[in-house]
Amino acid sequence: MKHLIQLSVNGQTHDLVVRPERTLLDVLRDDLGLTGAKRGCDLGACGACAVLLDGRPVNSCLTLAVEAGGHEIVTVEGLAAAGELHPVQEAFVEHGAVQCGFCTPGMVLVTKALLDERPEAADAEILEALSGNICRCTGYVKILDAVRTAARRIQETSPCPTTRS
Amino acid sequence: MQTRELHYHAPETLEEAVGLLGRYGAGAAPLAGGTDLVPALKHGVLRARHLVSLGRIPGFREISMTPSGGLAIGAFATLHAVADSPLVRSTCPALAEAAAQAGSPLLRNRGTLGGNLCLDTRCWYYNQTEAWRAARPLCQKAGGEQCYVNQKQNRCVALFSADTPAVLVAVGASVALAGPGGERTLPVEALYSGDGLAPLAKNPAEIATLVTVPSWPGRRGAAYLKWSARESIDFPILGAAAAVTTDPGGRLDRVRVALTGVDTSPVRLPKFEAALTGRAAPREDDSELARAAAGEIGTLFLSEAVPHKRRLAGFLAVQAVARAAAAAGRLP
Repeated sequence: MKHLIQLSVNGQTHDLVVRPERTLLDVLRDDLGLTGAKRGCDLGACGACAVLLDGRPVNSCLTLAVEAGGHEIVTVEGLAAAGELHPVQEAFVEHGAVQCGFCTPGMVLVTKALLDERPEAADAEILEALSGNICRCTGYVKILDAVRTAARRIQETSPCPTTRS
Repeated sequence: MQTRELHYHAPETLEEAVGLLGRYGAGAAPLAGGTDLVPALKHGVLRARHLVSLGRIPGFREISMTPSGGLAIGAFATLHAVADSPLVRSTCPALAEAAAQAGSPLLRNRGTLGGNLCLDTRCWYYNQTEAWRAARPLCQKAGGEQCYVNQKQNRCVALFSADTPAVLVAVGASVALAGPGGERTLPVEALYSGDGLAPLAKNPAEIATLVTVPSWPGRRGAAYLKWSARESIDFPILGAAAAVTTDPGGRLDRVRVALTGVDTSPVRLPKFEAALTGRAAPREDDSELARAAAGEIGTLFLSEAVPHKRRLAGFLAVQAVARAAAAAGRLP
């Protein structure tokens, strides 16, 4: 039986009719055309499908769409504001942290979620936060450099600068 | 990976959820975080067609201290909430560490403590796609006749693979269940049947609601050590939890050890525990003790090539006790 759900994605509300077995990943990509989230392993082991659910990173491949109603969803498409890249996106581009790009939306969203909560996050926390996102191309070095740069910039432009731990 | 047609129910009360699970019996499954259920669905091994979502039920997510100084953790609390909780980190840090090592940060944002407690047993031959499993007749756990790992006895030996239950068994925690017959509380250890096919010794319509960690008097410490292929994402190849109390001289008073990843349920080592009681805390590298612990583990049925698993388990058990004892020296 299909269910009527209301999904709030990147600030926009969508009324959708979905079968219960469809995942949030399916619906984002196929119904809403938001193909930033990728189907990597489809089992929650790679993080390429990561989206933010109420600000927290989750595997959209393991979230049934019918469970996602009533939550705020942010995908990578929702980061750039008025044509300007989010600081995390900018840092990724500058550092060459994007090769094939398949892991990138997930990496960027997890980074954004981390720095929203802990802009002062140091290496140990960064590594831990990204430990559910796998990259085949970069060897992670440039990704981590990008995250550090983004953290620094976010702190520098923050109205309430915090001490970096 | 195609999934079959499902029916989805979103009850708003616990009673409603229990009623639905009771009504549909083996055809229903409770859906909490979904991080184990959805993969099972995608693999075509979930036989339930009625999903009973617990997500709309308010409550059961709080973490608080009990009057006696123990911990009360709602079963619907995410593993992230448990790992991050200042209360859990100060009262039972080993539990926070176990929760923090389960899965990945993304999985922990959805997976719940109750779900981790009720995590299905796993096996190389079972947790595979339908296409993979089609190469041979269905294994027992998938509904067939054959166990491909324990071919001699032909008995399912799918492995217990969750992290937090090892600590919860070691600290003597209990779990409250709500079911058609009402509510009951049992030791976490008693939740497990030892049957690889149906690892939970509860009515399928019973839902875990609360986990209670008792307060341990005096100088107490616990530790959890996880051995896995990678430091994140992976299930434990082995997990060893220990909870101890020590006397003022540092001698071990009470010792409880629980292993995950070695059998169809969490495993205690009573002889090893008895051998340690009354003596000084062991060194982490005590190979004689490690051998004793390893020897107490029953037959290992390995679906994956980890030939050193028994030896490793012995060392992890000793390390867990050593670290628990060290922690006992530090807690106020």
